[in-house]
Amino acid sequence: MKIEVLFPEICNLYGDLFNVNYLKDCLPEAEVINTSLSDEPLFAKENPDLIYMGTTTESGQVLAIEALSEYKERLKECIDSGVNFLVTGNGMEIFFKEIIEGEKKVCDGLGLFDFVAKRQAKKRYNSLYLGDFDAGKENIKIVGFKSLFGFAYGDNDNCTLFNTQRGDGLNPECKGEGIKFNNFFGTYIIGPLLVLNPTFTKWYIENKLNAGDVKIAFEEAAMDAYNLRVKEFSDPGTGFYY
Amino acid sequence: MNKIRFFIALWAAKMSIIALRITKHNGTNFPGVVALKICPNFLKYVSKPAKIIGVTGTNGKTTVCNLAIDMFKADGRKVLDNSMGSNIDSGISTSFINGVSIFNKCKYEEALIEIDERSVPVLFPYFTPEILLINNLTRDSIMRNGHPEFIGRLLTEEMPKATKLLLNGDDLIASNIAPDNKRAYFGIKKMDTDVEECINLINDMRICPKCNSILKYDALRYHHIGKAYCPSCGFKSPKCKYEGYDVDTKSMTVKVSEEDGEYTYRLLNDSVFNIYNVVAVVSLFRELGYSKERIAELLSQIEIVKSRFSQQEVGNYTIVRQMSKDKNALGASRAFDYVSGRPGDKELILMMNCLGDTQHWSENVCWLYDADFEFLNKENIKNIVVTGPRAKDYYLRLKLAGVADDRISFVEKELDAPKALKLEKNESIYVFYGTDSIVLANNVIKNIEKEIAERGEK
Repeated sequence: MKIEVLFPEICNLYGDLFNVNYLKDCLPEAEVINTSLSDEPLFAKENPDLIYMGTTTESGQVLAIEALSEYKERLKECIDSGVNFLVTGNGMEIFFKEIIEGEKKVCDGLGLFDFVAKRQAKKRYNSLYLGDFDAGKENIKIVGFKSLFGFAYGDNDNCTLFNTQRGDGLNPECKGEGIKFNNFFGTYIIGPLLVLNPTFTKWYIENKLNAGDVKIAFEEAAMDAYNLRVKEFSDPGTGFYY
Repeated sequence: MNKIRFFIALWAAKMSIIALRITKHNGTNFPGVVALKICPNFLKYVSKPAKIIGVTGTNGKTTVCNLAIDMFKADGRKVLDNSMGSNIDSGISTSFINGVSIFNKCKYEEALIEIDERSVPVLFPYFTPEILLINNLTRDSIMRNGHPEFIGRLLTEEMPKATKLLLNGDDLIASNIAPDNKRAYFGIKKMDTDVEECINLINDMRICPKCNSILKYDALRYHHIGKAYCPSCGFKSPKCKYEGYDVDTKSMTVKVSEEDGEYTYRLLNDSVFNIYNVVAVVSLFRELGYSKERIAELLSQIEIVKSRFSQQEVGNYTIVRQMSKDKNALGASRAFDYVSGRPGDKELILMMNCLGDTQHWSENVCWLYDADFEFLNKENIKNIVVTGPRAKDYYLRLKLAGVADDRISFVEKELDAPKALKLEKNESIYVFYGTDSIVLANNVIKNIEKEIAERGEK
């Protein structure tokens, strides 16, 4: 199994890379390929089992867009053909049409999804997140954290990754969190999403990475922390916005 | 109208100081809060000392300020400071309120102000530091500060043109702030403990700021702190005017070289973090015109603030208080690295939970995954007690760091944590606590003392 991590030298904020570390703990045989800005990506010549990209800085977004621009058609082909992508935090915005700060356009995105990212230069939006992932036979509770300079705008009614119970979706008026196109999973939830959500991780490994029935790493400890967080986040007395 | 509003605000704030004194309340920010509530432009109108020295950055600014304040006191110099209040607008307003008469006449010629780096947009429009020392810019609270590039951008955009910057030249994020301002750099020369490849989870300066190629480091201390160069375009860390070297941990001294020679100064703590703090203070006082000899004299007369790091001997044990600012991955990593490198067997109590967050919502734990818990996977760390609201998260994180089950103890309530200590003879017990759990940490330490007494010395 090959997991390609795009630009870990810049897309590494808020503990996001632990998503990959955790997958590696769960799947010791997996090969992790780190692709730097100046490298030719692995996906350019073959279909990795998973392409991961994490949160970056605002200038990092511009660099990532520049680096991926020449592979835009290939990325589209990968998404259309069902290659797995997991993109967290503002890494997702790189795949949008454009990024706007205040009233001013910062740059065009890769334009692969019909969304626009709008941010305020000095304002930070922080919240907890509680939602559901529709796993077919069951709904899996998702917990996480959001800490962003802005939001995404566009219609994700038919391509929502998580259904929000508490917290915001892609923007404060939208209850759908993240985007899901074929096997492209993008979410504004930052940090170690997979570590914090072991039930989802198990489903993802078994159903998307097709690794069979796996025992996820440190399952008992991860489930203990997860169950406590689900309980806290479900408590109406827990504040949700910082 | 604005002036009338200002004087109402000033007098209300002055009265609140008297009320706080009478009722024996601390309320160190309260007068500033009152003033800003009545007059949002209060900082514009309040009289300020003619010369303001600012200290900002992510880590170490309080230590640097405390050192500088103590040195000014030892020198008999009357300098207004905000050490009793906070470093945001309300705390700084409180200091200025204390510094003026009821007629808004300033009683001080000079001020040394610790400045929260995130607060500069509401501060710098109203005062211009003559010198601003920036110790470092690293990751801090995810919710508040985002990432250091954002803070760097904020500082550059808000920086008054007349401010001279005194910057850590070994920090490429801090050293690139406000490139058009006058500046001098301080740093530390290559040390024996330096490496060339980063071993930390956080390194926010992996690519060249000029050409985006992967940077190399001649000497990397930790994270992005060190001497970098770009093999592609030739970019490199700036030349430092003041550079620490020849650290002697036995005599606890450091030499600082300048163009016209070197001088030896006293160290107050042997962690690299604190060596930077001393070099920063020496550089600041040199920029203020002090002689090397006088700085060395003043440094020899002061002590590091005890609330941040102190130790006590209890029977055969050493109990060490180790403050580790909550939700600050880099601060935790530095503390973990330092403690794990100390000689002898040790047990740790991890209780850096953000208690404020626990009361209102739930702590964002992403920072745990930026912090190097891997440093705690060491043979001489015999037991790590995780406790408090986020104990289960610490437990999981330690497991991910490879720490064996038999070296982790889970205790729900902090005050019960001492019961889980193994208390092997001659070991050290480190209590890691956050900025809002100082009182709780003191009570935990009392319970450790009781536990030692009850179990008897082995």
